[in-house]
Amino acid sequence: MGFDGVRTAEMNHDPFFPLLLAAEHTTKIELISSIAVGFARSPMLLANIGHDLNAYSKGRVTIGLGSQIKPHITKRFSMPWGAPAAKMRELVLAMRAIWANWYDGAKLEFVGKFYTHTLMTPAFTPENKEYGAPKVILAAVGPHMTEVAGEVADGMIIHPFSTLPFINTVTLPAIEKGLAKAGRRREDFEISYSNFVVSGRTEEEFQKSKQANKERIAFYGSTPAYRGVLESIGVGDLQTELNTMSKQGRWKEMGTLITDDILDEFAVVGEPHTIVPEMKRRYGAFVDRTSASFEFVDRERRKEMIADLRRA
Amino acid sequence: MKVDGGVGWELDKVGAEAKALEDMGYSGIMTAETSHDPFFPLLVAAMNTQRVELMTAISVAFARTPMVLANIGHDLNAVSKGRFVLGIGSQIRPHITKRFSMPWSAPAARMREFILAMRAIWAAWHEGKPLEFAGRFYTHTLMTPFFTPTNNEYGAPKVFLAAVGPLMTEVAGEVADGVIIHAFTTEKYLRETTLPSLEKGFERAGKSRKDFEISYPVFVVTGKDDKAIEAAKVATKRQIAFYGSTPAYKPVLDSIGVGHLQSDLNSMSKQGRWEEMGHLITDDILKEFAVIGVPSTIAGQIKSRYGDLIDRTSAAYASIDKEDRQKIIKELTN
Repeated sequence: MGFDGVRTAEMNHDPFFPLLLAAEHTTKIELISSIAVGFARSPMLLANIGHDLNAYSKGRVTIGLGSQIKPHITKRFSMPWGAPAAKMRELVLAMRAIWANWYDGAKLEFVGKFYTHTLMTPAFTPENKEYGAPKVILAAVGPHMTEVAGEVADGMIIHPFSTLPFINTVTLPAIEKGLAKAGRRREDFEISYSNFVVSGRTEEEFQKSKQANKERIAFYGSTPAYRGVLESIGVGDLQTELNTMSKQGRWKEMGTLITDDILDEFAVVGEPHTIVPEMKRRYGAFVDRTSASFEFVDRERRKEMIADLRRA
Repeated sequence: MKVDGGVGWELDKVGAEAKALEDMGYSGIMTAETSHDPFFPLLVAAMNTQRVELMTAISVAFARTPMVLANIGHDLNAVSKGRFVLGIGSQIRPHITKRFSMPWSAPAARMREFILAMRAIWAAWHEGKPLEFAGRFYTHTLMTPFFTPTNNEYGAPKVFLAAVGPLMTEVAGEVADGVIIHAFTTEKYLRETTLPSLEKGFERAGKSRKDFEISYPVFVVTGKDDKAIEAAKVATKRQIAFYGSTPAYKPVLDSIGVGHLQSDLNSMSKQGRWEEMGHLITDDILKEFAVIGVPSTIAGQIKSRYGDLIDRTSAAYASIDKEDRQKIIKELTN
């Protein structure tokens, strides 16, 4: 189909197994976890998994990590939670320290606030070093996590629940701050953003897509941590209301609070042929990769749309 | 008796390796966790075999949370159509805290809880029970349909636990489906320490010996001629000396009245005198740990010594040719 990468998410299955099988059945495409829950695992495990997948795929792997939220880390995964941005920074640095030990023979002496890795022997050091470490990217919403991505990661995944004003006033400046801190350039950093798309072959399909996207936006909007995104378009108060409704299980109704104007801030809305030009116009200046299923057009048209986006 | 064989970590080769072991008649294939992820090779093996069981022997439990392992176990058991055996072990404190940066305490009690936590998670996924696991070491109280696997046909994998000491062995008997006994074990230790501990665990859980598998990788010293057997002897003695230097394994040496060797071996290991350490293992000591002889005698020796005691064994029989190897496997599995 012409895609550059395939991604797995971590929901009800291990996110790395599908990437292993994908590696076996492909030769060019990049393989990305998007995302795996960082804080559910020790940096050593992630370093090992990342190494194995990258070696087997001959250097095509990107480990995308996200923090998840406190209740999932502590009550689902039974792992400790603490200052997420600072902890994620350390997690990535710990993985890099482990890789530096494996590939460059640097002594492993990582003693951080959250993680300690000081023991490594030849028996536990991978011997197949040809392809080295995978890329590491972070999913981020708030300015602190975004800055950490800019500082220590190879790229970042902007949450679909983002608006242009939020990206311009919060995300991009935070990335710049992180990059500056590490003395890195924007060209060395990859920004991934998958905007919402509302479209359809028929009016009926279009309305259905609109409804589904509004419900998803309402779902994300109920999360306290994402309030800043709603504030960026002057509707911060919605968060409180959506949160209350979510606790009452009024999911369908929540979608009705998302007006067409709000939807436009989050989604590219229109007939199929308008989608790619509008994505380019809105996001072309800062997005390095996007993802799209474009399920509202047939396979041939989809291929054209992907090719069109890739030229941007 | 089931016979397991090991596969390596090279993901582009492991499919063929696993298929070859299945064709040779092995009952199961095993991976260890050293410098690679122990589950990836089993996924590849699952796609390339139909019959053999697929087992980690072992993966480091305390390096992971019960939820992550429950998910891995579910996925591998589903893709292999019920052939996955999750073999886990505790590792030792420095590796958990300084290599994996994970918590360590009361290993037997923690391991018991770890397995019970996984079982609670699987009961939530496969039987719809509410997830309300609040233990001393692990808390799992949050699960939503979104995070619940939907391919429930094959349910939970079996869980085997590696154990040496009596406490961990009792935990295996109580909450695991099988025990993986360390190769560094004597028949005497097995009968006098391991088995009674397992039975204590069975009793506590109200289960019987036949619901449980004992896996024991017997040291096998063999070769196509005397010279090869002598070489295998030297190598095995060194390996036994290496294990014998570990303080936690002293009771095994005690079982055959040579507990005093442990401190000698330990100080020699710190001086790197690995070759010399092997000399401390006499032929008599070797016999306690290993079956020794020409290939045609091996299966018979294993059966007569351990036949009433163990359900599965493992061996590569690397020092003999494929035909002899296959004969041993056939004789053991029949």
